[in-house]
Amino acid sequence: MAGTYTLKDDLHLATPPPHPSEAPVVNPNPLATTPQPATAGTKLSLLSLSSRSSPPFLYRVGTNQSTRSNLNSSIQEHPGEGRASGDQFPPSSDGGDTSATGSARATLSIGSAPAFGEGNTFLSATSKDTGKRRKPKNNIAKSNSSFISRCIVHENLAKRLQDRPAEGYFAFANINRAFQWIDLASPQKVTKSQSHIDLIMGFSTGEIIWYEPISQKYTRLNKNGLINATPVSEIRWIPGSENLFLAAHMDGSLVVYDKEKEDFPFSPDEHSSPTNDNSETSNGESDSSTKLQIDKSVHSRNQKTNPVSFWKLSNQRINAFAFSPDNRHIAVVSEDGVLRIIDYLKEELLDIFSSYYGGLLCVCWSPDGKYVLTGGQDDLVSIWSVAEAMIVARCQGHQSWVTAVCFDPWRCDDRNYRFGSVGEDCRLLLWDFSVGMLHKPKTSSVRQRGSISSRLANPLQRAETPNTTASKLRSNSVVSVDGEYEHTIQHDVEPRATTATLPPVMIQILYVGWNLPKNP
Amino acid sequence: MSGIFGIKKWGGAASGSMSPGVTSPSKGKKDAEPEPEITPLVKMLQHAGPIRNDGSDKFYGMENVQYANFYYSYCNSIVQALYYSVPFREHVVKYPPHSPYDTPNGHPPIFTPIRAPIQNGAAVSPPGKPKGISAAEAMKRRAAVNAGQPVPAQAGQKPEDKPDSPEYKKKHAMLAGPILELTYENASSYGMEESTFTALKDIFMALIANSSRTGVLSPQRFLEIFKRDNEMFRTSMHQDAHEFYGLVLNAVISNVEANSHRLKELEPPHDDHNLALSMKAAVTSAATAMGLASGTRSPGTGWVHDIFEGVLTSETKCLTCETASQRDETFLDLSIDLEEHSSVTSCLRKFSAEEMLCERNKFHCDNCGGLQEAEKRMKIKRLPKILALHLKRFKYTEDMTRLQKLFHRVVYPYHLRMFNTTDDAEDPDRLYELYAVVVHIGGNAYHGHYVSVIKTQDRGWLLFDDEMVEPVDKSYVRNFFGDKPGQACAYVLFYQETTVEAMRQEMEAEGPTEVFTATKQQETANGHPQPNGTYPASVSKPVSASPPEENREFVSLDHAVSSPLPMSNHTIPRILPTAASPQVPILDAARVKTKEAKEREKKELKEAEKARKVAEKEKQKAEEQKRKEAMQTRKDLLKSQDAEVKRALAASKHSAAEEEERRKREVGSSTSTSETGKENGHAEKGFARGLSRAHKGSKSMSRKSFGFLGSKYGEAKTHADDSNTAVEGDPGPQTPEKHSKSTKDRFSFSGLGRKKSNLI
Repeated sequence: MAGTYTLKDDLHLATPPPHPSEAPVVNPNPLATTPQPATAGTKLSLLSLSSRSSPPFLYRVGTNQSTRSNLNSSIQEHPGEGRASGDQFPPSSDGGDTSATGSARATLSIGSAPAFGEGNTFLSATSKDTGKRRKPKNNIAKSNSSFISRCIVHENLAKRLQDRPAEGYFAFANINRAFQWIDLASPQKVTKSQSHIDLIMGFSTGEIIWYEPISQKYTRLNKNGLINATPVSEIRWIPGSENLFLAAHMDGSLVVYDKEKEDFPFSPDEHSSPTNDNSETSNGESDSSTKLQIDKSVHSRNQKTNPVSFWKLSNQRINAFAFSPDNRHIAVVSEDGVLRIIDYLKEELLDIFSSYYGGLLCVCWSPDGKYVLTGGQDDLVSIWSVAEAMIVARCQGHQSWVTAVCFDPWRCDDRNYRFGSVGEDCRLLLWDFSVGMLHKPKTSSVRQRGSISSRLANPLQRAETPNTTASKLRSNSVVSVDGEYEHTIQHDVEPRATTATLPPVMIQILYVGWNLPKNP
Repeated sequence: MSGIFGIKKWGGAASGSMSPGVTSPSKGKKDAEPEPEITPLVKMLQHAGPIRNDGSDKFYGMENVQYANFYYSYCNSIVQALYYSVPFREHVVKYPPHSPYDTPNGHPPIFTPIRAPIQNGAAVSPPGKPKGISAAEAMKRRAAVNAGQPVPAQAGQKPEDKPDSPEYKKKHAMLAGPILELTYENASSYGMEESTFTALKDIFMALIANSSRTGVLSPQRFLEIFKRDNEMFRTSMHQDAHEFYGLVLNAVISNVEANSHRLKELEPPHDDHNLALSMKAAVTSAATAMGLASGTRSPGTGWVHDIFEGVLTSETKCLTCETASQRDETFLDLSIDLEEHSSVTSCLRKFSAEEMLCERNKFHCDNCGGLQEAEKRMKIKRLPKILALHLKRFKYTEDMTRLQKLFHRVVYPYHLRMFNTTDDAEDPDRLYELYAVVVHIGGNAYHGHYVSVIKTQDRGWLLFDDEMVEPVDKSYVRNFFGDKPGQACAYVLFYQETTVEAMRQEMEAEGPTEVFTATKQQETANGHPQPNGTYPASVSKPVSASPPEENREFVSLDHAVSSPLPMSNHTIPRILPTAASPQVPILDAARVKTKEAKEREKKELKEAEKARKVAEKEKQKAEEQKRKEAMQTRKDLLKSQDAEVKRALAASKHSAAEEEERRKREVGSSTSTSETGKENGHAEKGFARGLSRAHKGSKSMSRKSFGFLGSKYGEAKTHADDSNTAVEGDPGPQTPEKHSKSTKDRFSFSGLGRKKSNLI
């Protein structure tokens, strides 16, 4: 499983100077108790424009300390309504031409999952006129919106876009309140150009902007937090959908929006009861910790306006989520250290896992959809088997919190998996694991007591494939006594003594900070 | 002292009382100024219901008592953390189980003198209970005090005049009172000699007994006693909070031990007279009869050990004969070395990493019969209920003359499990939750300030900064990883054991309470008049990091609250105008303030910078050089790049250059400070400490296991004291690590003691 990785690009993201009209917020009092807006940190997302399968190499910069970019083609700045450093601009690509869509996902996705909300005629009714691709309404360069304070456009943007090769990457990065669009294409000769890129970004005010960088148009959604006023921590397009995207808000709700629909004030209290549409949903209030609380179902009849659907998972901040390769499930991780596997098509919560301790910060699926990786504040990368609903191994090697994990699809087959992780220790670690190669610690006769309770069923008892999981319906008639369900949703923390640990195969220190150099 | 500003304010209040509601509502700053009494804390505590008698809902600031310019924030931060260590507080209150002055109803009521509120810095001497004074009287008194003050020349604004500044809040905490004056000692009522323990107990008892939920406590007597017993804390040096913590805990252990020994000796003759003592004797003798406690530990006194004590196993393998030996040692806390960009978890791992014993630090192998090279690992065999982690932020410079502060980013999670347990450890996956963080603010070990951020039983996280207590949101705890501007770094972390169930419950409750609080605040704004001394009840948690809308609401509600509070006799008239006026003036005022604030803050920042520069000067220079080079190469790069990129970056480049210049200036100006700092009694001690630093010390508390040392108490005490001074040298801000050689003996002692006490 060896492989050579070469550094393709070293991005130094600059924090653009603040807008002249904004007084810099300086508060030297380290004890200032004024609440600061939440932030999702610096994020970078890549859009692959190549027609052939190219590695979906995701390189995330975990620090804010980098300085300049020599690659900027344009710099835009988006103020979050006068709040500092809270914006975040996660990914989203749906390329204009079929040849330019993100290729990795297309080639690796399994089967054909039904589209989200399929069968709900109310949902599709509004998005019928898809003959022509729509653009957002407002021009960002000419905007006088109070939301966007400044937009610096590359002088020869149009020409540059035309001249660039069809392959390569666009990178979209946010640093504090600024958002940058970076062209990572090598200076080769021209072939084809992009015509359309849909981009969504979530803000610390809860607002969302749908942005089309080629034409520089944008539309605001969830304006003034009409639907949910808490910061957006993660936002992604729903695979296979041109219009729908999923945003995670920091109050623990997952909201599906349609980029072309109007907002409508939404209050979770007024349940749009989805009973006639689909029976396996709702009644989530009774036990919100083990069921998905559906405040608005995708199958709801009222689909003229946003939100399309609204799920409340917990009261804790959602840190990240990821769609499974088969486009049926999402894995959601949150600040309370919980990983949830949700069948989002059926709007059903399948499994709840807990970190060893501390919040979970990142999540991803294996290319075959069998495993989920999480990284968190316990300095561990955890491998979870979705089919067996259990932890496979804990990967120990980081010296601080793990902020991003990703499989290398070119180094994965049906038995061996290669993945990488980066963390606050400024290190990139590579890991290999093969099915059946993992050894549990010798001491299996360890008493379980105290905080690790074993009252719930052995996770091993429940083994099923993702597909059967998905097809299992839990009807309303299930009597829930003492939190025991048909099968266990909530899985307890496995003690260290019975969980395999995995060492990294490679450690690369990515960044040496400007702190004091270490003395030997 | 506060000049025109203060007088205007109080004057306004007085006149307002005569004609309520007449005052113009749009007075910007003056009117919009937050009511000193309605602090966020007080607001949170409205609707709090009856006061619990276990002291868990008392939120007192602690006066930074000032004797001849000595400051004691290290004491305050630690005492607060200890007070909110629930098992510790409970035991302190309960011990001794029976005292000679006990009535059938328990302890006699405690009367703590209350200092009259301070006016403009000068204490009003008669220590009458402020609550006894009627509203009108108090008003008059205040007006009189203010009127009697000559108007001083407006010689620049004082820090405490600026609302939002800590100084302002502290001053007003003192104004609000009540100020519990702990100048007395109550030891005899506990049947004990006065000691650090009794003084600490006095503080705890006074807090619990007082009928007010908030106030300020002045720990004068406690400090006197502590300094009586600890010579090195008598100097004016900035002291180390962690060291103080260790000494207090050890003092409590020894005081409690001493008391039980004394009781044991006193016992037999008084048997018939004193029920309490006889019961104690019975227990003691029973234990003795069982052959358990003969000397190592008296029953009922081991509670400090039960709470804080864990057991470390050091496994040493001689590299010559391959013989592995194990030795158990007890600890009251763990001192962990820090690395850049690491986590507490990782630092704890390093703590247990293998270590070579070689050269001057060889291991005496019993098998080979000589000093040999060896491999050593420290693992935790028994986890304590409360795990105190001391982050070693102070480290000697290469030349060992100076302690520098490490500003490494070290992240700490809200929950923790330990990786470095032995295989046979009981409950190796024990879950801990963070409940207190002692924060050091300052550029080096010789200056600075301590505060603590503490999670209370049902009031969320609070910031305790001397006199000031303020609710903060949960994420505030993460401001002290060490890399943020302002030099505030977590220094001691307190974790307590918890369960998954408790954790889940708490997390589920976290979100909704915030919403609940918001609605409650709305209600409060409508006003529920309450009699003095009682607060309306409300469940609340600090508002979390929130969108701006919520903030605004927060501010405006601040002023709309109209329920009268104790000591806020003048608030009623002042509230009316503000309540009548909408948010506009408030926002205006905020803006005005920030302008003033900025200048002052800039100054403060510069000073702080200066201090830090002293500590890091050399490093900084090297760093600067590097940075400059990097900057240069990058510049060159940029030049060769497109012109438009350069233009976009011009602004930030400029600012960077400016900063550099400023830094250089400061480095220059602060050099002299560093010199004097060195001379201040540290240079000569540097060597002793420096030596011990070379050893990778892990345990930090010198007298930690001293409860087990030897069988006779008296001997144990002197022995421990001797070893403390002899081995440790003079502990400075950084707790010195052990000199491995001499500690060895003591460790084996304590190891023996450990085995014995295992039997109990």
